[in-house]
Order: sequence, then C-alpha cells, then structure tokens
Amino acid sequence: MRLAIESVTKRYRKGVVALREFSLDLKPGVLGLLGPNGAGKTTLMSILATITRATEGRVLWNDTDIARDPDVLRSVLGYLPQDFGVYPNLNAVEFLEYLAAVKGLDGAAARRRIDELLDLVNLTDVRKRPLGGYSGGMRQRVGIAQALLNDPELLIVDEPTAGLDPEERVRFRNLLSDLSGERIVILSTHIVSDVEATATDIALIAQGTLVVHATPEELLRSVEGKVWEWVVPSTELTAVKQKFLISSTTRRSDGVHVRVLGEEPPTNAQPVSPNLEDAYLFCLSRHRAGARAGAAA
Amino acid sequence: MNRSRILYHMVRADFLERVRRYSFLLTMGFAIYLGYAVYARQVTLRLDDYRGVDNSAWLGTVVGLIATVWVSLVGFYIVKNSIQRDRRTRVGQILAATPMNKSFYTLGKTFSNFAVLAVMVLILALAAVLIQILRGEETQIALGALLSPILLLGLPAVAVVAALAVLFESLPVLRGGVGNVFYFFFWTGLISISVTLVTGTQQPTGLHALQDFTGIAVVMGQMQTQLHALDSQVRSAASFGFGNFHATTKTFLWTGIHWTPALLFGRALWLAVAAALALLAAVFFDRFDPAGNGLRLGRKQKSVASNADVLDSQSSGVEPARASAFHLTPLLRDASNRQTRTRFFSLIVAEFRLLFRGHGWWWYAGAVGLFLGCLLSPVGAARSGVLVAAWIWPVLFWSQMGTREESFSTGSLIFSSPRAVPRQLLAMYAAGVLLAALTGGGLALRLLFAGDLSALAAWGAGVLFIPSMALVLGVTTGSRKPFEALYTAWWYVGPLHHIRQLDFMGTTAQSSTPVGYFAVAALLVLAAYMWRSVRRAYA
Repeated sequence: MRLAIESVTKRYRKGVVALREFSLDLKPGVLGLLGPNGAGKTTLMSILATITRATEGRVLWNDTDIARDPDVLRSVLGYLPQDFGVYPNLNAVEFLEYLAAVKGLDGAAARRRIDELLDLVNLTDVRKRPLGGYSGGMRQRVGIAQALLNDPELLIVDEPTAGLDPEERVRFRNLLSDLSGERIVILSTHIVSDVEATATDIALIAQGTLVVHATPEELLRSVEGKVWEWVVPSTELTAVKQKFLISSTTRRSDGVHVRVLGEEPPTNAQPVSPNLEDAYLFCLSRHRAGARAGAAA
Repeated sequence: MNRSRILYHMVRADFLERVRRYSFLLTMGFAIYLGYAVYARQVTLRLDDYRGVDNSAWLGTVVGLIATVWVSLVGFYIVKNSIQRDRRTRVGQILAATPMNKSFYTLGKTFSNFAVLAVMVLILALAAVLIQILRGEETQIALGALLSPILLLGLPAVAVVAALAVLFESLPVLRGGVGNVFYFFFWTGLISISVTLVTGTQQPTGLHALQDFTGIAVVMGQMQTQLHALDSQVRSAASFGFGNFHATTKTFLWTGIHWTPALLFGRALWLAVAAALALLAAVFFDRFDPAGNGLRLGRKQKSVASNADVLDSQSSGVEPARASAFHLTPLLRDASNRQTRTRFFSLIVAEFRLLFRGHGWWWYAGAVGLFLGCLLSPVGAARSGVLVAAWIWPVLFWSQMGTREESFSTGSLIFSSPRAVPRQLLAMYAAGVLLAALTGGGLALRLLFAGDLSALAAWGAGVLFIPSMALVLGVTTGSRKPFEALYTAWWYVGPLHHIRQLDFMGTTAQSSTPVGYFAVAALLVLAAYMWRSVRRAYA
C-alpha cells in the first residue's frame, strides 16, 4: 500500500498557484497535514480524492496513476471533505444506504456496516431522524461514518473535528489512531493538538510547497533548545511581541509567562521542552523568512 | 448611516454579486436574443395584414411589449433566487444579526431584482435603436416615441415581477418548485386578462388599468383606432407573439401611444402594486430564522433547527467517550471491481427512493387518483386528458434530477466513488423513467390490452423524453427552475393543446411524433453525460 505524490502543481484560473512541485511518499499510518489557511491543504486533499486534477505532476496509488485510472483509488477511498452537504429529508441510515449504493457496496454488508458505523459515531439513538434536524457536529459524524463505509485503504479527512464537541473530538482521535494500522490516513487540519494525538508522520505545508515531512519526534528534536519561557511585566508584552517569535502567553500573578522561540535565549529566560505547536511555528517562521529572503534576492 | 444609504448598499451589493456571475451573461444573452428576434421578425406585432413602419414609435412599442410579455415570464425565473442565495451562502445569518429591517430587506431585494430586469429592458431599448438604423425604413430616431412605451409599459411590469419574485421567495409554500410552476399559470392568467381587454372598446384607465398588466390593451386599442382611420375595412384581428407564420403585406404609420394622464396613472398604479407586494413580502419573510416562517401563526412549528437543539442535547453526553476499541466488519473486496457493476440496480432503487423524499401524502393520493383515472376513463379521454395531468403532477420530482449534488453540496461525497458519473447519472435517469412509467402506467396498460402499439410508442416516447429533459437541464444548470419553468410552458403549449411537433406525450394520433422524441431523449441523456463528464475532472 503506497501513495506517491510526485511534483504536483495545481494552477487555478487567473494564475493562482495553490500547489507548487509538491512531492510526498506515504505508507500506512496517519499523516497529519498541517499548514496555515490558504496553504494548499484542501487543494491537495481534492486532488488525492480524485475530485480535481493536478495541473502538472502525478499521483500514484500502488504505482497506478490516479489521473489515468481514478477508480482504482476510488474503490478503496474514504473521503471526508471540509465542506459537504447532506440530503435533509433522509435520515442517517437512508443517507448512508444511498452512498453505499453509489460506492457499489453489497446491500446486506452495507446495512451491517452502517449499523456498526452509526454506533461508532454515537448516532444510533437518532438514526431515524431526518438529517435536516441534525446539528453541525452530528452532521460531521455522519460524514465520518460515510468516509468509513467502504472500509477504505486510503482515508482522507479534511478538518474532521470542526464542529465536534471535546468528547467527540477525543473519540474521533482515538478512532483515527486505531484505523491507521492497516491503512493510510491523511488528516488535514490546522489544529495542532489533533495531529499531536494521532499522527505518525507530519507534513507541514505553506504557500503550496512542502516545508517539512518528518515524524513528530524528528520535528520536536528540530526545536530542541530553541524554546524558552520568560516572565515579563504585562506592560512590556507588546515590546516583547515585536522582538521575539512568541508561541504562547499565560497571565499569572507574577506577570506574563511568555513562551519564546529562537536560537538565542532572551535574558533571564529558561529553556523548556518543546511541543508540536512550537515546532510548527518555528518551521513556519523559518520558511517565511527564507521566502522573504528569496524574494528580496 | 441613514436609511436610504443602507438601502443603497443593500441593492448595490446584491446587484454587483449578480452581475459578476456567469449566469448574468446568459441573462444578457437572452435579452440580446429577444432584440435579434425583433430584427429577424421572429417576434411580430400585427393588426390584420398590417404592421407598422419601422420607426421609433413602432419599434419602441414592440420592445415595450416584449418587456411586459416575455421579460415578465423569463425574468421572474432569472431573479427568483436573491433571498435563496443569501440563505445558501449564509450571508443571511449575518444580515439577520444586524438591525436590518425586514421591509427594508424585501424592498432592497425588489430594487435589486428590478435593476437586473431593467438592464434587460435597457438592452432591448438599445436593440430598438439599432434595428431602426439597420432596417432604414425611417431614419429619424425620435427618442421620446421610442423610450416612452419601453419605460412606461416595460418598467412597471418588470417592477411587479421583481416584487413578485421576492414575495414568492418569502412564502415557504411558493419558495421552491411549487412557486415556479404556479407562476407560469399566474403569468398566463395576467396575460389572458390583458388580452381579453384588447377586444373591448374602452381604454383601461384608472383602477381598470390593474386588469392590463402588459399594457397591450392600451397599445392595441390606440393602434386599431389609428388604423381604422386609414382603412375602415380592417378587422380587429391583432396579434403579438413569436413566429412569422403569416407575413404581413401592408404597413401603416404608427405615431406612438398617446399618453393621457389617466393612462399614466394606470401604469403608475402597477408601480404601487410592486411596492405593496415588496412590503407584503416582509410580512412573510422569516429573517433567516431557521425555526420557520416570519408570520407567526401561533401553531406549533416543526423546524429543523429546533430539532437540532433537542437532538444535540439528546446525543451529547449520552455516553462517555469510549476507549478506542471498536469493531467494524471487514468488507470483502472484489479486485476486479465487478462488485460495483453488478449493484447498479440497488443504485436505481436508491435514486428512486431519493426522488420521493420530502413530499406529503397528498401527492401520493393525487398520483394514485391520476393512475386510476388513466386506467378507468375512456381511452381517448385518458390519452388526451388524464395522462396530461398525470405527467405534470410529478414535475417537482423530475426537477430534482441532476441538481441535488449541487444544491445539497453532496458532489464531493458522490463523485469520489468509483464510476460515479455514468452509474449515478444513468441510475437517476432510470429512476425518472420509472416515475413517468408509474404515474402514466394506467394508460399504458389500457393501450397494451387494446393492442394500440402506435399509441403505446407515443406513451413510451413521453416516458423516456420527460426525464431526459429534466436530467439535461438539471445537470447543465444545477438548478430546478429551468426544468420547472420550461417543462410547464412546453406542457401547456404542446400536450395540453395537442400541438403537433410539441406534443411529446402523443396525446392524440394527429399530434403524436414518437420517433423524434425517442431520438431527442437519447441525445439529451448523452448530452447530460458529456456535460457532467467534462465538468467533473474525472469521469
């Protein structure tokens, strides 16, 4: 099982380039795809989900070019788009039955699987209610269920925890971790904690290019010794923000605890263990600085 | 910010949003086509064997009538989407959280609709100038004579249409397909009342002007008077419409409508009607409240959002977040993908079931009644009457075909499935055919037992043609409106009046042309497939 993205570029009308020479090689596990808004994550998801074609480059699923034979991938694909709709007059079972038919699943097997999936996403109690009456989080769970209908080998989930309450979010993270053993899961999000909890690999994308592809441990090691905590009076916070790359701030009785990223420590700052959010911000700022330097040159 | 400024910005934003869409180009294309139709004499205004000399007064009058008659029909379907767009884009929710006044909103939408329709009328006015120059029968352009009928006939009419569109969108029952179908008959009624006044001797002035929406009675009355003065032998046969089946042989000099204060008051009344309709719409407008209608009737309202709250409270916290242990039965995968091919029938069933969602028992009662009517009434009456009714009844079902993926944003879920484009499209078409066959099935049984194969072929052509038309219009436009409007109009002109070539149901032996409709149905299905294949990057 292998998904290879080879030098993919996606150019929209009016010359907007969403992806630029993007390459990635994936094996079973959970890939956390992180990046700021407008980085190209959703475009990449759409290309991998065979919704849109790459302008240049190719995507290979087990060595088959999906642009030439998309059905090879589609038959093993589960896709949860960022924005999707439901038919409001159908209930969850009917909607999933419909999508199972579209995916070409056998009726009896589909029914059994739908029961299991509705239980899994905690919608069994409301399975007979029209989807039009569901809240955003409940619709999202229907989306998760439909993505798992055909027992996918490649599961692509774009901002899957958007609209979920904390309890369901934990539940979904656990689900993703358990699913990852025998399949490739691509989790696109800008919520670092979701990735922290589930990802076996992380790809950081910005301005349509791959900034870094590494394991969470490698990423954390890259900022080892570059994260500092420092207590400053709240009156100096604005000046500190202008001077340093801040990861987080916490107000306490002794002042504002500022988490700073940088090669050199500020005066009186103490080194602290990095987390993924630190690594994400550090890589991103380095990439932006590089891009600025490139543009200036 | 004062009120007029708020209104201005509401109209401006809505207008700009519309004119920057590709669909606006189609709208303008339609207006240009109407202008061309006048030039090519496809649209004819005639009195007996006479037409007017192509001067400013004549062309202005023709264009003014086009605006009142044709733009008032097509324009309604063009502009009846402004509130729906705010609902779909969720901009409405933002607006609802502002101090926006409901009547301000509906007035703003009416102005915006009016602006779009007025642009169409303006294009027609420019076309009239161009036509006069190109024809060269009268070279002097008299702007007053040219513009007065366009402004005084056309603009009040489109103002009413603009307000009607907002009113229909505000009323839940007329917001969707029912409103689209109903408007056609409403428009037919308005035109019919106008036309009946043409034969009268009195000019409809004052409050009587409210019977003459199009202003055609004013125009024809004055034209007939002018023509009688030139030729006393002339009959009162006046016509205005598409087609040039009997070319006129004589011309007369039309000097234009004599606008009396009473006539002007009559046209101004229509503007007042438009304003009243816009304000009436505010009464029903729900201000994007997902809990229901703006007019509180005191009855219990079953609503999606209120259910959502209840459901959310039911489901949240019902169980603690379980540990990750779960069990999903693995699916057996057919490596050859034969699986998906052999399960086409279950997809047809799923599409068929989907067609029927969201309709009340009354629809089924009506369908059963019409089926039995086809089965039990005399064959001639069943074919020329009951079948016609049976095949307008499911219009709101067929109109869903090809549009659901767009209107409910389910495309990304469906089209990431194997062979989704051909499988789902054909399954959808098959479901539509099945629906036609069932609703008109009573007649088919009769014809089968009677051995009337030619009538059965005509029936079969209808069964295949109707869903093919729905499919191609749905897939290409992504909207239910084009099918609902076009099918209803075609149904009215063709099958209901048994007009040969247009009678796709073959309601009589004389009007039946099944072979052509079999071929057209096949071509339309092919066109729908090709369109969707091209639109979807992967087919």
